Amino acid sequence: MNSAPRSIEEYLRQLRAALAGADPALVQDALYDAEEYLRAELAAHPGKSEGDVLELIATTYGAPEEVAAAYRDNEAKVNAALRQPVPRAAQSRGAIRRFFSIYSDARAYTSLFYMLLTLATGIAYFVFVVTGLSLSAGFAVLIIGLPFFIVFIGIARVLALGEGRLLEAISGERMPRRPVHPGPKANFFKRIVEMLSDVRTWTTLAYLVVMLPLGIVYFTIAVAGIALGGGLIAAPFATVAHHLGWMTQQDVSIHPAWLALPVTLPLLVGLGLLVLTALMYLARAIGRFQVGLARTLLVKPGT
Amino acid sequence: MTDTLSRKFQKDLNGGLVALVLLGVLADSTQDLYGYEIAKRLQKANEGEALFKEGTVYPVLRALSAHGLLTSRIVPSYAGPPRRYYRITEEGRAVLADWSEIWRQTRNFVDRFSSGVRS
Repeated sequence: MNSAPRSIEEYLRQLRAALAGADPALVQDALYDAEEYLRAELAAHPGKSEGDVLELIATTYGAPEEVAAAYRDNEAKVNAALRQPVPRAAQSRGAIRRFFSIYSDARAYTSLFYMLLTLATGIAYFVFVVTGLSLSAGFAVLIIGLPFFIVFIGIARVLALGEGRLLEAISGERMPRRPVHPGPKANFFKRIVEMLSDVRTWTTLAYLVVMLPLGIVYFTIAVAGIALGGGLIAAPFATVAHHLGWMTQQDVSIHPAWLALPVTLPLLVGLGLLVLTALMYLARAIGRFQVGLARTLLVKPGT
Repeated sequence: MTDTLSRKFQKDLNGGLVALVLLGVLADSTQDLYGYEIAKRLQKANEGEALFKEGTVYPVLRALSAHGLLTSRIVPSYAGPPRRYYRITEEGRAVLADWSEIWRQTRNFVDRFSSGVRS
């Protein structure tokens, strides 16, 4: 049992300690909520000192341990209620139905969309980080060097938060909903030293840089998979249409020629379906991997 | 002993009731409210003595929001961190109507058995 906190900073520190081990995103929520309440309560009693107001807090808002318990209870309930149900087809016994159940999993589609998007976001992140770092190094000798670097890191953190929100939208995994809580008030230079010595600052930049190669790979896999699968499925229909004289403008040719035999044409459709289904599984796996990577580099370090 | 038991009983009761009360407060309000305002309204309604710790209001607000019963927006504030304002959704109003009905039935039922203690 801690001694009763006498200041807002102390209260927040005890609350953070009481929530140790909980989801970092949940800790952020709890700290922001508590700070909102405590500062509003302090402003509502202008005549009283911070210590006096904090004394009342235990009876109104609740002690840090009580508040931490309330958050833990709620998170457990909400998680249980919001977990995406496993598609029913995935539980059925038929091997073929189970294999194709991926098509009823929303996360596979959102992950595939994410893969197509990462080329654009990857290029943007990479250019941002490389430009920001080079300019910061160049400006370092000038008076604007430090402010420029601080703004650069600030924007990088906002990008990281946005990436987290995007990943939560595609995967349903809980990611932080607000920027990292700045912790107790400190003077300007202490803040800068903290920012520079914070592992997360550097892992965030690493994440943004590595998104370029990853984005290229993801985008290539997605486009190649969709084009190959779609092409294989469409080929027999195009051939038939050509033979029937419906498509006179384009010439349809399949190489080697034995693939275009009436016996092998249906096999192409099967192969195309196989490629598309494999792509869907791969997309879902990549989505999961990406969430793990984001947790490791953007959320966990330094908490 | 009775005091500890009473407190535990109150806490168990609060589990779902806090959510019902919060939906009610937001349904009655013509404007969006933030956590502190809601907590203070509850405190005032019970003559300054809240039935539950105001700290428990916030996680429930977030849970209701996650279920789509409330929407929220963040507004920067001069005094401290940005505030999260909540508003009830149509789905929230429908749930509130259901829950109020359940609560009324429960209360009538419980009253029928516990009223004998009053003497």
